[in-house]
Amino acid sequence: MDKLTHGFRIDREKCQGCLSCMRVCPTHAIRVKDAKAQYRSDSCIDCGVCLTACSSDAICATTTSVEDLSRFKFKVAVPSPVLFGQFPTGITPAQIVDGLLAFGFDEVWDYSVDINLVTRAIQQYVDQWTGPTPLISISCPVVVRLVQVSYPAMVDQLIPVQPAREIAGREAKRRFSARLGLREDQIAAIYITPCQAKTMSILQPAEGVVSNLDGALGFHEVYNGVLACASLKKGDAIKSSRSPIIRNSGLLRVHVSEGMGRLVQQHRYLRVTGLSNTIQVFNDIEKGKLRNVGFLEAYSCWNGCAGGNLTVANVYVAGATLRSLARTLPEMDAVTEAEVERRFPTEDFSLKAPIRPRPVRGTADNLKERVHMRQLAEDVLATLPGLDCGLCGAPTCRELARDVSMGDASEDDCVFLSKRRLQDLRRVYLRSTA
Amino acid sequence: MGTNVPEELLRRTFEIQGRDFENAGERSAEVTTILKDLDVDPNIILRVGVVAFEAEMNVVMYARRATLMFVLTDQEIVVEVADEGPGIPDIELAMQPGYSTASDEMREMGFGYGLGLPNIKKNSDVFSLQSEVGKGTRVYSIIRLMSYG
Repeated sequence: MDKLTHGFRIDREKCQGCLSCMRVCPTHAIRVKDAKAQYRSDSCIDCGVCLTACSSDAICATTTSVEDLSRFKFKVAVPSPVLFGQFPTGITPAQIVDGLLAFGFDEVWDYSVDINLVTRAIQQYVDQWTGPTPLISISCPVVVRLVQVSYPAMVDQLIPVQPAREIAGREAKRRFSARLGLREDQIAAIYITPCQAKTMSILQPAEGVVSNLDGALGFHEVYNGVLACASLKKGDAIKSSRSPIIRNSGLLRVHVSEGMGRLVQQHRYLRVTGLSNTIQVFNDIEKGKLRNVGFLEAYSCWNGCAGGNLTVANVYVAGATLRSLARTLPEMDAVTEAEVERRFPTEDFSLKAPIRPRPVRGTADNLKERVHMRQLAEDVLATLPGLDCGLCGAPTCRELARDVSMGDASEDDCVFLSKRRLQDLRRVYLRSTA
Repeated sequence: MGTNVPEELLRRTFEIQGRDFENAGERSAEVTTILKDLDVDPNIILRVGVVAFEAEMNVVMYARRATLMFVLTDQEIVVEVADEGPGIPDIELAMQPGYSTASDEMREMGFGYGLGLPNIKKNSDVFSLQSEVGKGTRVYSIIRLMSYG
């Protein structure tokens, strides 16, 4: 079977070798060889920064295709709550649900209950924890992979409680298989996702198990269909007899600005958004500067999931829409509360397997050899200009030095050290004058 | 097995200035970065990180200056921090969890809970502490790369 380790592919035909993706990649997982970008898939954390940076449309994301879904007898959409902030004012959650049904889903799952269950499980875990802090939420898959790749010593600080979307998938399949007399594998629970990273977390969970969800469709894939449906039946949508998709504001609040902070009040809580900010905070944790924080919620996307790379609406507008929607709803309602009380004692919310560090480029088994290679890299680095121009095809001089030490590159790839390299680059990049 | 002399692979020394809260933690971060680069077991890195960090913080809080020495051999990691500072009059007392001479100001910054030295000891396979009042303190810690039985 193919080993799928990250969510992006580069179309070599379209790639212009412009270095943009390589320069922005936060984990230095891209190299440019012969004017074509390529991934070091073990370092990729699925953040999607490369996808946004590419101006040649050469990077494609792995997704679930709509055709894949036809093999299921019953299809349940599990929309991220952020979806309800994507559409123009006047389009209600009920209309969005109608739109998803028209798109081909048989049911749409409301996961307010699931998010409350998960929050409670997290709270219990945080309360009982006596190890190093802060504990880190695993809601954002990029953050999980970042820890696995760049902060392996912190993996035990990741809270081993399944994300709400996973619990929602499990319960949706359980509920509808009982109701319809179908096997669980005949029912598809499809996450409607704001980002590529969550698709990858479903196709290949970080803890190496099988997801409760069967796939994911991006907001951009359902947007037009939902919008068209909503505009068509604008008049009678109000009459929709369907029970409300969102009964309380808790679900939305978690996703807008408050995060889970309100729900785990007795612990010192921090919410960080944006990948570079998150990395800065992790570096501070590593240096022991955040020892008083008990619980950390970090999101790779700026402003959280509403800023995901598969969203359609402007992140600020989406936030405002979600906030105004939250204001129209009660904080909690009796139906949700009763469901939470009923389900909590009967379900297990813990991750099915522990999250382990992801080994990156472990070429030498022997420590002595690794020390030797590191020394070699330091020596090479001392000969490089330190400008991080990227023309060698590595994002920084330090990375080139490391590549050289591993035998993946040569010092002659540096334009300062080799005239031939410059000539080669001219040939490739200045095609018209060659 | 286990009787051969450790072969030194890497050695670094760092200077630490007392009261330099701005750069506190930088040296221990450098040590853990090196170990991360070398793909050392994350649990070992975690322990070395705690040892180096706590020792570094002790210098920043109490001493004038110090040298942090870090040695990696094929069998173990040695962290030694020798400072010029007030020294510790009663080592036994200083080793008790919760005992601290930290000022309120330090406590406000989140330090001075009296857990530093006990934490260093807890995370070390070999630990020693020598101190002379008015002169300085030397913290010596060994963390083995592999646990032998």
